[in-house]
Amino acid sequence: MPGPFEYTIWFVGALLEASVVVCSLLRGPFRRYFTLNLYMSMSFLVSAGRYLVFSRHGLMSSEYIYFYYYSDAILTICLYFALMGLYAIVFEELGAALKLRVFMMLLLIGTTLFSLSVVHQSEARMLTHYIVEISQNLYFVGLVLTYVLWAALLKLRESRVRVIQIVLSLGVYFSINAANYALHNAYPNLRVIWEYLPPAAGMFLPIAWIYAFVRFDDEARLTPARLAVVPR
Amino acid sequence: MSRISTVVLLAMLVLAGAMGLKTVATTHGDGSVLMANGTAPVPPTPWKNGTAPVPPTPWKNGTAPVPPTPW
Repeated sequence: MPGPFEYTIWFVGALLEASVVVCSLLRGPFRRYFTLNLYMSMSFLVSAGRYLVFSRHGLMSSEYIYFYYYSDAILTICLYFALMGLYAIVFEELGAALKLRVFMMLLLIGTTLFSLSVVHQSEARMLTHYIVEISQNLYFVGLVLTYVLWAALLKLRESRVRVIQIVLSLGVYFSINAANYALHNAYPNLRVIWEYLPPAAGMFLPIAWIYAFVRFDDEARLTPARLAVVPR
Repeated sequence: MSRISTVVLLAMLVLAGAMGLKTVATTHGDGSVLMANGTAPVPPTPWKNGTAPVPPTPWKNGTAPVPPTPW
């Protein structure tokens, strides 16, 4: 059962997720970054739903287990759409919106088909296996897509600070969770570390996005180093 | 046509890369699931309730060597 520390992390995380949407609404970029806000809104609603189910049925109940894993798949799909929105923002000036949508939808369909091919021989709980498999595979696809987007930012010499901040924080978030998962599998005895890193990463992402929305406006740009005035 | 092929190729490349990365990450895995969304406490996986040892499958009674299939 979770103790006071776990409860605190859970509620602070949910509050931070709601704060991202509030900051985005107050500062104006809600529509422009709609998919990011959709993800954070869903994340907050899912946290509230999880708490309701958890408080009624408990951590080890089938209700909480199924609600947790099914809602996690929904959140991963929302995260994928958030990435899709970021791609649209980064490539908006190239006029490649249609190709981008086709690419992302093909990738989504490919991932679902691949997941189906992995679990289609499961006899028991096939739907649950399928949902969890999609969630896992989509997560790793998101990880690769984030690095591809970061490479594109460098190649296009993107200088919008807010976009850079959001993409970088997403990269850190994906990387922490994937590295944590891999190391957890390699060193299962260090349970103390592996259990606390994902919630820490879960709090880092909304904090980084709040910072991006509050600190920078949409036109803020990085000053190229060669143009910076160096006092002598 | 070539543009469509390029888009399909890129999508397949990303998918292959992601699945390769997943395979590397789960090399020594015990069937646990990567959970990354939200800060709620993580329950056990739906097909792994409790910490008791997993019993043998129902069609594998005893420790006798398994004969070849009848067909």
